[in-house]
Amino acid sequence: MDVLFNQLFSGLSMASILLVIALGLAIIYGSMGVINLAHGEFVMLGAYATWAMQTYFGFSILVALPFVFLAVALVGWIIELVIVRRLYRRPLDTILATWGIGIILQQAVRLGIGAESRFVKGPGILDGNVVIGNVVMSNYRIFVILFSIGVLAATWALMTKTEFGMKLRAVIQNRGISECYGIEASRVYSLTFAYGAGLAGIAGALITPLYSTIPTMGTSLVVDAFLVVIVGGLGSLIGAAAAAVMIGEVTAVFSMVMNDTLGRIAVLGCIILLIRFRPRGLFPETVRR
Amino acid sequence: MTRKLSYDLLAYAAFAAVIFWLVPTLYAYDGFELNTFARYLSLAIVAMALALSWGTAGLLNLGQAATFGIGSYAMAMHLKLRASDGLPDFMGWNNVDTLPWLWVPFESLTFTLLAGLLLPAAVGGIIAIFMFRARIAGVFVAVITLAFLVAFQLLVIEQQGLTGGQNGLTGLAPLNLFGWSVDTYSVGFYYLVAACLMAALTIGIYVSHSKFGLILRAIREDAERTRFFGYNVSSFETMVFCISAALAGWAGMLYTLVLEFASPTYMSVSFSLAIVIWVAVGGRESVIAAAIGAIIVNALEGRLSDVFVEGWNLMLGVTFVLVVIFMPRGLFGLVTYLAGAGSRLRQSRQDSPKTSAPIGSAPHAQGGR
Repeated sequence: MDVLFNQLFSGLSMASILLVIALGLAIIYGSMGVINLAHGEFVMLGAYATWAMQTYFGFSILVALPFVFLAVALVGWIIELVIVRRLYRRPLDTILATWGIGIILQQAVRLGIGAESRFVKGPGILDGNVVIGNVVMSNYRIFVILFSIGVLAATWALMTKTEFGMKLRAVIQNRGISECYGIEASRVYSLTFAYGAGLAGIAGALITPLYSTIPTMGTSLVVDAFLVVIVGGLGSLIGAAAAAVMIGEVTAVFSMVMNDTLGRIAVLGCIILLIRFRPRGLFPETVRR
Repeated sequence: MTRKLSYDLLAYAAFAAVIFWLVPTLYAYDGFELNTFARYLSLAIVAMALALSWGTAGLLNLGQAATFGIGSYAMAMHLKLRASDGLPDFMGWNNVDTLPWLWVPFESLTFTLLAGLLLPAAVGGIIAIFMFRARIAGVFVAVITLAFLVAFQLLVIEQQGLTGGQNGLTGLAPLNLFGWSVDTYSVGFYYLVAACLMAALTIGIYVSHSKFGLILRAIREDAERTRFFGYNVSSFETMVFCISAALAGWAGMLYTLVLEFASPTYMSVSFSLAIVIWVAVGGRESVIAAAIGAIIVNALEGRLSDVFVEGWNLMLGVTFVLVVIFMPRGLFGLVTYLAGAGSRLRQSRQDSPKTSAPIGSAPHAQGGR
């Protein structure tokens, strides 16, 4: 029983990182229909930015988080301006172009920093564990879970309570009419893309103490995050959150019952079945397009 | 329609002349160099297979590498059995005592050759029936095939005793093809691969110019409308997936012969997306263009990765982004655009200057899918 709880807990912490990655992806896909396969590379950039700040300025992860967010958001903003902007009318082609961007980013990091894996220390104040009965929960993982819930809440507030969010929702529903009302759709898109990229950067920063930082770390993460988005229902924040928790926990439980690889295979199988029978996801958006 | 067929046949003949005559002459019939080129040709087959499903029917299959891998493992299993008396060596390391039932029929060459085509076709067909019965289309096809690919590769790596796991199948015997022991560094082997590519292209051109191909293009443009005309859209989509998978398996078998090993990296996500890149560079609408795209990208990779060991991938990424943005129809689109521009120019000289030729077929305007 304790093994199960420990496994569920570590599944939850993985799920919450997956959630932050998937949120960015869901916003980008939901608002502009761009399938961003470079999203994993944004995570990787976030991880390397954290490493760089710790190595050169001695910042702990907690201090580095806002800077990482801004830095990766800036990269995303530039990529949107230069490349993605030209592809809004061709959604399938965005898969290809963003995969190309991913190759470029990955290779640039490999050339600039090197292919060997980097290590980032977890923040000192979050050392230690909370022990309840026989369940050991590391403080850092608890922090990650709470932080990602915070990110989810902030994103929800941004979408529903701010003027920017209102503009974004208007553009999603009807770009042409929104532009008639004086909303600069292209600006809204750039900022949305930048925000999504920034979220990926945060996820990268959070993941560094748990994962080894290597140039190729993004590829497997993006596949998972993308499945979360599809399972959750396109453009639905709550759906993405529910799907992330579900996939994280199911993976954790299956990995315990079988082994890691078979567990992942089983989860992928379930996801394929789910997409087959509910292609619009668990929580489909009911917005008229 | 017939005019386009004549263009395709012209391109086909020119392509055949290049790979049967020009390339061997350029390499002075050197078996070692031709072996490298045979590798490009076998990859050209998997590229043209993808062009059939993606370019013609508009179904972006990101799991093409899985069917390619099945073909390559089928061939490797046969050659591994030939190389070892009794049990293949890696099975001993994994405590497998008897030959698994899955391996037994691969003793026979005929079975292997059939399995290399039919197993991928069956797998492709099952996925296709599963997806297309539910009218899954567009991005979801890409996602499901991608998820399948990831799961399949994990499964192959996991089943160490059966597949050699991460190491794949190495130490293979040369193929004994009806009494001819195939030396992969011979000119004869190059011609075998070239003939296979031409045969695959023949199938591809036949499919895309038949009525079947016409219906596939109709599905690409508007599946709903095609359905209302009374065509069973899902069975057409399934059919093209099967053909494409069988051709990919064929390519996989040749690839194992060329490289003399099979590895789970043949089923990786990045390899699968690389196939998509080749097709996009060549042009997804034409099987020949897709094959040429695969040969060009791989030949460039072979040359440039020697010179720029580190920078090559960067160049590949940049080229690919540029191609997607500025040449959405690939080299094929560029060629047809230039040809179209030429004929328009001639036409406008002949016609009176008042009626200028209609300019409606710029490649940028169309590449929507």
